[in-house]
Amino acid sequence: MPLVIKDEYPEKLFRDDGKRLDGREKDELRPIKMEVGVLPNADGSAYLEWGNNKIYAAVYGPREVHPHHLSKPDRGILRVFYRMATFSVFERKRPAPGRREKEISMIISDCLKPVLFLELYPGTAFEIYINVLDADGGTRCACTTVAALALADAGIPMRSLVTAVAVGKIDGELVTDLSGIEDKAGEADLPCAITWFNEELSLLQFDGNTNLEEFSKSLSLAKDAMHKIYEIQLDALKKKYIEIQEEFNGGEKN
Amino acid sequence: MEDEKEEINENPTTDASDDVDVDEFEDEETSRNLVVPGEILTEDTKNFLPGRGTIFNKDRTKIISLNIGLKQVRRNYINVIPLRGFYTPRPGDKIIALVTDKNPVKYICDINSKDKGILKPKNTVARGKPRRYRGGPPDRHDNNTDKYKIGDILIVKVLSADRLNKPELTTVGKYLGKRRDGLVITIDTPKIPRVIGRAGSMIKMLKNLTKSNIFVTQNGRIWLKGEDIAHERLLIDAIRKIEKEAHTVGLTDRMSIYIENEKKIRGMN
Repeated sequence: MPLVIKDEYPEKLFRDDGKRLDGREKDELRPIKMEVGVLPNADGSAYLEWGNNKIYAAVYGPREVHPHHLSKPDRGILRVFYRMATFSVFERKRPAPGRREKEISMIISDCLKPVLFLELYPGTAFEIYINVLDADGGTRCACTTVAALALADAGIPMRSLVTAVAVGKIDGELVTDLSGIEDKAGEADLPCAITWFNEELSLLQFDGNTNLEEFSKSLSLAKDAMHKIYEIQLDALKKKYIEIQEEFNGGEKN
Repeated sequence: MEDEKEEINENPTTDASDDVDVDEFEDEETSRNLVVPGEILTEDTKNFLPGRGTIFNKDRTKIISLNIGLKQVRRNYINVIPLRGFYTPRPGDKIIALVTDKNPVKYICDINSKDKGILKPKNTVARGKPRRYRGGPPDRHDNNTDKYKIGDILIVKVLSADRLNKPELTTVGKYLGKRRDGLVITIDTPKIPRVIGRAGSMIKMLKNLTKSNIFVTQNGRIWLKGEDIAHERLLIDAIRKIEKEAHTVGLTDRMSIYIENEKKIRGMN
């Protein structure tokens, strides 16, 4: 007998004690773990665990563009390949890139472009390959965060890092960092990304119902969360080198 | 055939003053503080200017870093010595190239950069070379691409390089030409100055202790040839260790101790 699992969501997204279903406060992030330099054959790479999301990103470049007709004579191009593994979601994900993959690849590319100096590398391509091994809501934000980290690890000149987080509304309350079930059953979802060199929004998508007051409130919630994630990004980037420095007691000169 | 013999006899060595600038990693002005892209280096824009790897922000109130690396203050410039990066060819660089393709008018070489290098046959033969005897045949390699085969390893010099065109290479010059023996390894390009050391101190130490011949080039490739395979292995391990610990202090002293220890462990004399 085949196993039939119905797409059912719980009626209430808050527990009786006022916390969310996974035990978080309203403005609490899921546990985040980042690491850089995980793939030896890539120019730069990073790994991210964000709650149940598990994502690898690899950066190559600058290198020649294939197919060649995509290259631009006056600037380099940034190509992002966002892919989800077949086993990353509950029901098998068909491996061919669909509309959703192409859309997310495009928005990650557009969101990272302002921090790069593409005009210095005409006729070349920077390529980011992102693989989602395990997905549980908010992968586009997680992928943007990890892609920025991989770019920095590759030594590509950047104006700053990029950080992204999703905020939203569930059961009439504004919450930070929606998990998969809150994303589907909630009322509104607002993924946004920030470029730190000018503190401007680089990505802003919206899905659901809300009013203007709640919208600006959720943006300030997002900014608080982004500051927390940015600290983790910086730590992950520096950790690789600081560990070696400390091993040889070379933390401070003289 | 005769001119090829001449090339083999030329022992490649590294002239540090010739090839490479000072070791920025060991510099007094370089702090051990790691900076990351977007980090604010100073807000005092009246007294400091952005140098290498740094930039003003939009309203010129801050100087920010573009790379992951070490902060350095030299005179009134703030620089960032990168720890990761890629090779950009500059005219005059001596680099190791691998012939990947050829056609009747040019060789196409992999030089570990975003563009393939172009080596034209006229740049493989010294210009104005006298004929062997009066009225003798002209040089055969002047006009065709028979001199090198696909897969050959060449030490070349960059003649011209810019943002738009492919770099042009030459094999005419001191230490340049085909290498028939030895090994080539690749390391991170920004760590090449560290392998050479201040005024060539690190490379002299490596050569003396492992009795090897080393040629370090700017595109991150190192040609090496030791007495035997054991010395070559030790040398490769040592270079990998330098690459990994490039951003620490007192590396040259630590490396000499490391090599002496390894020699005892591996039973070499």
